[in-house]
Amino acid sequence: MSYEQMNPTIEKILANIEKVMIGKRNVAELSLVALLAGGHVLLEDVPGVGKTMMVRALAKSVNAGFSRIQFTPDLLPSDVTGVSIYNPREMEFQFRPGPLMGNIILADEINRTSPKTQSALLEGMEEASITIDGVTHKLNKPFFVMATQNPIEYEGTYPLPEAQLDRFLLKMKMGYPDLDEEIEVLNRAQKVPPIEDLHPVVDLEGLLALQKEIKDVFVDQTIKRYIVDIVNRTRTHGSVYLGASPRGSIALMKAAQAYSYMYGRDYVLPDDIQYLAPFVLSHRIILKSEAKFEGISAEEVVNRVVARVPVPVRRFVK
Amino acid sequence: MMKRDFPALLLYTFGFLLLWEWLRPVEQLTATGNIETFIVFLLISFALSFLQMKWVWQGIVKVLFILFSINRFYYDEGFFKFSWLMSFVRDLVNNISLLFARQWNDLSNEFRTLLFFILLWLMVYLIHYWLINRQRIFIFFFMTLVYITILDTFTLYSANAAIVRTVVIGFAVMGMLTYYRITRKEKVNSTPSFLKKWMVPVAGMIAISVLIGIASPKAAPIWPDPVPYFTAAKDNGGKDGNGGISRIGYGANDERLGGPFIGDNNPVFTVKANGKNYWKVETKDEYTGKGWIPSGATPITFMEGYLTPVYGIPNKVKTINESATVSFNNNSLSNTFLVYPAGIQKILQVEPQAPQPYTFQFDSTKEKITAISNGISSYQVEFGVPKYKALDLRETTAYDPSSINAEFYQRYTQLPEQLPPRIKELTEEITAGKNNWFDKARAVESYFGNTEYTYDQKKVALPGEQDDYVDQFLFDTKQGYCDNFSTSMAVMLRTIGIPTRWVKGFTGGDFMEYSGEEDSKGIYQITNNNAHSWVEVFLPNQGWVPFEPTKGFTNEIRIDYTTGQTSSNDQTPPPAPQKKPQQKDLEETSKPKNEEKSFDFNKLWNNFQLFLKNNWKLIMLVIILLAGMARIFYWIRGKWFPYVLMLRYRFKNKDESFGAAYLVLLNQLDRFGIKRKNNQTLRSYASYIDSFYSTREMTRLTNLYEQYIYHQQLPKGTWKENYKLWKNLIKRTIA
Repeated sequence: MSYEQMNPTIEKILANIEKVMIGKRNVAELSLVALLAGGHVLLEDVPGVGKTMMVRALAKSVNAGFSRIQFTPDLLPSDVTGVSIYNPREMEFQFRPGPLMGNIILADEINRTSPKTQSALLEGMEEASITIDGVTHKLNKPFFVMATQNPIEYEGTYPLPEAQLDRFLLKMKMGYPDLDEEIEVLNRAQKVPPIEDLHPVVDLEGLLALQKEIKDVFVDQTIKRYIVDIVNRTRTHGSVYLGASPRGSIALMKAAQAYSYMYGRDYVLPDDIQYLAPFVLSHRIILKSEAKFEGISAEEVVNRVVARVPVPVRRFVK
Repeated sequence: MMKRDFPALLLYTFGFLLLWEWLRPVEQLTATGNIETFIVFLLISFALSFLQMKWVWQGIVKVLFILFSINRFYYDEGFFKFSWLMSFVRDLVNNISLLFARQWNDLSNEFRTLLFFILLWLMVYLIHYWLINRQRIFIFFFMTLVYITILDTFTLYSANAAIVRTVVIGFAVMGMLTYYRITRKEKVNSTPSFLKKWMVPVAGMIAISVLIGIASPKAAPIWPDPVPYFTAAKDNGGKDGNGGISRIGYGANDERLGGPFIGDNNPVFTVKANGKNYWKVETKDEYTGKGWIPSGATPITFMEGYLTPVYGIPNKVKTINESATVSFNNNSLSNTFLVYPAGIQKILQVEPQAPQPYTFQFDSTKEKITAISNGISSYQVEFGVPKYKALDLRETTAYDPSSINAEFYQRYTQLPEQLPPRIKELTEEITAGKNNWFDKARAVESYFGNTEYTYDQKKVALPGEQDDYVDQFLFDTKQGYCDNFSTSMAVMLRTIGIPTRWVKGFTGGDFMEYSGEEDSKGIYQITNNNAHSWVEVFLPNQGWVPFEPTKGFTNEIRIDYTTGQTSSNDQTPPPAPQKKPQQKDLEETSKPKNEEKSFDFNKLWNNFQLFLKNNWKLIMLVIILLAGMARIFYWIRGKWFPYVLMLRYRFKNKDESFGAAYLVLLNQLDRFGIKRKNNQTLRSYASYIDSFYSTREMTRLTNLYEQYIYHQQLPKGTWKENYKLWKNLIKRTIA
């Protein structure tokens, strides 16, 4: 029984990414999970670990347009969304789309810009449309934002409010490559960047089809219950000021579906939930100040919660 | 493969010694001579096996040895002469055909010796195989012990030393083999020093256990030593198989009486008659101390329809004429003898009908009637049922040479010289106060009604070489069957000078039905179980009067106690069918049966309460014991419960049982000690289990189960296909 057989398309995309990214397969996988589930990713990491490279490789693999927005304190919402400009020749305002109108967007250092600009981005992420001068513009499909946040420099930053963090399906850290991987990075740096040689694995239609299939991944009643149990526990945990919302439950389920699909399964396992819960839930809970002082992180809390909830091993009977 | 080193030599030596234990009793208990040759054969075989000679050479050496031994045993010619070999081969061919004809008894000694050699050869190979290849000897060791203990119990062979030897050798050999097995299993390169280190504690333990075994007190045997019964059998063995356990039925040889026997319900003949009576076959007159033999043979012939030359009832005694028809169930018996009632007059209507009247032979010493021509199936007898008068019976008080022929008297009061005097003393004590022979006989007859004596067919002794059959029964064993009782009575009366003889025959049998033609007559069936013996006492004026000393049997003679000359005897109906004097049916056992029938529930309840009251301690003990056993059973459930589960799920075919079975497996693994944490997913648990057992089985099974519970679907036939997987895993949980 070939069980852990990955979905072949996804396998190929991951292989593509691995051509340019050394190591970090789990980050690539999780990004792909978010993309397939129609969600967005918040990467919390220092610059220079290859975020851009990964997103570009991803974009290339799915043959999607890639745009990058470097958030700065003086960035205006219209810089993100686009602007209507009066065209004297045609005697009317013409909409000039901003970088948000791409398919895959890298929003770098999202916390450096003003809340106003942030919310323009987040609105686009949530509604899949933007309104400029009273006109609603549909965003492209698929639409995938990978935002990054620098956890080191807090000077002059505008941390994202929790309600807005909720918009991200997953939040993760990239981390440094290990020794061998970094040596390999150096080796590759001597050659021509291979990103140019990447060939698309699927086109946008194929990606949309994948997204559609993922919605059909079976989630058993027991699994749903398991998800809700976990999310519920975050609300009652001692260190937590505000637990995850029902949107968190939905996010966990969607991510798990995508993850299962990635691994060639058409149903969700508790293993998927356990693996994804920290990525899905940790940015959705607000810790109490005491807990923060004690140095407890949200990931830890989520892990503890998951460890507390018994895994369902019996068949659900109505 | 074992090396040719010292430990291997030791193993072979032990094997040889164990096998030798099997030969020792053979020497003592059978007529097998030259046992040394067989032992030498064993030695050679083991030596060859140890030296790992090529099997061809081994075979040649062994065959040569066998041939040489046979030549030395049975043939006078030299080994290198060809002629003996030829006759041996002929003998072989002969015996093989005898084998196929299943005439085991006719096999020649040469052939038996050869077979024995072959058996030993096989045994040596087997032991070699057990020791070297299987490295297990327990079964053989155990069988050796069983063999020795059985021989010790049931034969003369005394295994006191043999048991100790066997245990020491067996334990040593098992200790060594265990060592080899463990080293092989753990793949340790064994060095001689390892074995030494191993064997020292083994030797110590054997020494200690043997010492404890010898020193510790031993429980007394729970049944009496059966050897005496068999001893006599063995002494007698070879001559005539009258010892040991016999089958009930009529047998002609009574030289050695005694020993247990088993029942046989096969019918011998049926009788159509007015009531039951005993059926005589023959009488014997000489008591040897062990049994009865006829003092001589005086054949006479007589014809069908004529008066039989059997010693008749004197004319003084009134008789009622009766007739009965005897039909044999098969012809085999009629070929040897005829059965007849006391007071026989004529034999008539012999079937199958022949043109000429049948002729019979009669031995007047034994009073046995034999048919000269074979195949008599039925005949009619006319006989007179005697009606004795008490006065007449009591008339004889002492031996009177005028009324009894001296030679006759001597013959029927014969006793062996070495007859213990205490028999006479006992008889005199019993008959004290009686002045006539009849009353004395009655006294002795009723003496056996004494509770001291019990009727038994199984626990009956055979007298040893020095024992007297009667003496042993009267004073030692006090249990036996008709032969014991009747012989004792006959001998006892002879000690006080009353002529007696010992009668063999059959009791009246079982009433089957009324015969259709003559309503007054009944049909009686006589089986081998009815074979019987009793006593006849000679009263000069009354003839031979039968007595029945055996417990549980009756053979009432009709006695008229009135003093008047005339009596209403003629109207006396023939004795009603008596209570079945079934030999097995003892009075003691028949009584409780009757009580059982009349129980009611109240009584039962009372009995139950009484039982509780009387036995509450015992009941508590039993309950505590049961609880303890249940507890132990629960403790060791790891050993047996998986088997129960396997059995339970073996025959479930529905796929739904898969879910249950998987959960059971989880429980079992949990019980085994590989716990699944609550937050552990099945998949990670499965991979943990698999790494623990280094398999893939649990993961495969778990994947299916995941589909079942998280996807609500299961391919058809999953359970049947994966039962084996599940079973393997369950088996691993057997502690």
